[in-house]
Amino acid sequence: MKSASVFITLILLSFSLQAQLVDEMDDESKLYAENKQVNQFFRRFNGEEDEKGERYYPKDRLYRSEKLRKKYIGILFDASNAGISPDLKVEFTKDVINKDKPVILNFHGGNWFSEVHTLFLMNGKEVPVTLFMELEKHHQGTRWVISKVYADIFKPYFERDTVKVGKFLHPLSHELDFMNLRKAFNNPDSVSQYTLKKFVPDHLSVFLYEVKKGNLKFKTVQEVKFHFFQINGWYFELAQFNRPGYNTGWLISNLVKIKNESEKNLLKKYVYYETK
Amino acid sequence: MLNHKFLSALFAALCMVSLSMGQNADISPARKQAIDSLALEKVRDLSKYISIIGNKKTPFSEATRVMDRAEELFAPDSEMGVSSLNRKEINYYKVRKYFERLMALNYDRVTISWYDIHYISDLERQPDGRYVGVVTIYQRFEGTSDDGLKYKDTTKKDITIYVERKKTQIQGRTIEFWDVMLGDIRVSETSA
Repeated sequence: MKSASVFITLILLSFSLQAQLVDEMDDESKLYAENKQVNQFFRRFNGEEDEKGERYYPKDRLYRSEKLRKKYIGILFDASNAGISPDLKVEFTKDVINKDKPVILNFHGGNWFSEVHTLFLMNGKEVPVTLFMELEKHHQGTRWVISKVYADIFKPYFERDTVKVGKFLHPLSHELDFMNLRKAFNNPDSVSQYTLKKFVPDHLSVFLYEVKKGNLKFKTVQEVKFHFFQINGWYFELAQFNRPGYNTGWLISNLVKIKNESEKNLLKKYVYYETK
Repeated sequence: MLNHKFLSALFAALCMVSLSMGQNADISPARKQAIDSLALEKVRDLSKYISIIGNKKTPFSEATRVMDRAEELFAPDSEMGVSSLNRKEINYYKVRKYFERLMALNYDRVTISWYDIHYISDLERQPDGRYVGVVTIYQRFEGTSDDGLKYKDTTKKDITIYVERKKTQIQGRTIEFWDVMLGDIRVSETSA
């Protein structure tokens, strides 16, 4: 009976069913409704568990069933985000729960990664560092690894104006065994003007250097979110919502329809702070 | 001819070994359920120990003994990462330190209770061959001082579990079994 009522709660989340007049400890429906782990988000998205979080396996009748997935997908969005239009959600749902070609999220399928906001200490001062993490196969299993880093503190070191003439090494410098390099390196601020125009700074390398030199010391994690590019034609962001009510836990906080590969690449650059 | 037969038999034997190794790599639904039960048993033990350690009526010597028992549930170097609604940043404590802080809380009465709900993730294999999973549980804390000061919170505890196949000798026979150890725990205050 309790199980049935929990299930009804899950379905009717949009009505913000309030379990009033029930002792706080007895009302666990909000906790059941919460997407408690990213693992649960995957399972609910794919229709792989029952309303109490017990896993379904391929032999089970409801495993990945269209009916079950339709019930769950509505509670996987951040309902307070007006930026995701109802029409877009409907289109996404239709694409994902397609009877002929259902889309299933795969934990080991790649094309999804985490953005981890951390605090490090540099000379005793707190500095924010964003780590991008992804899953990688290694020996007998998998592990999370750092694929990219973005930190505001590194940014000024790479800034340069590629439009103006600026400083340069003239085209016959080689005939003088590049003796003019001495003048080029005289002013550290303008060193980046002597690099290739299409040079892209790599914060991860600088980050590793600073950590190994002992200049950057880890302090704490502030926030974690995930970016999914695994579904053809779509991007979504997954973030954690710790708030009262039923629409909590790991929820889709951003949804974008991607028309082509160049749009996808542009979006990835934006996510990685590469357009900043 | 004999040589050929021997090679065929050896090849067949090797195939069987690798097949059984392959099967070991995947945990069947039935095995997963058995491991889940074992993990939950350890998590329940931990919940029980936390309630005893936090209880102001527990004598110091008893609390110390229970802390020792609780510590035995954990893999070495396990930590608790704690955050609250007001402070998103995670504070890190060694398990023992966390228990000691819990015991030293400045309330005259402390009640720690647990919601019935739990959530168990899938098991994933890590590079060293061990499996890892996460069990989520919820704790209700109420602390009251004699001067009427009352504090209560609900915390979500995401508990790492390490699952490993081990061997032991019983009366000369080698018995294989699955062992579960607890690891790092993320403790976050929830507004539920």
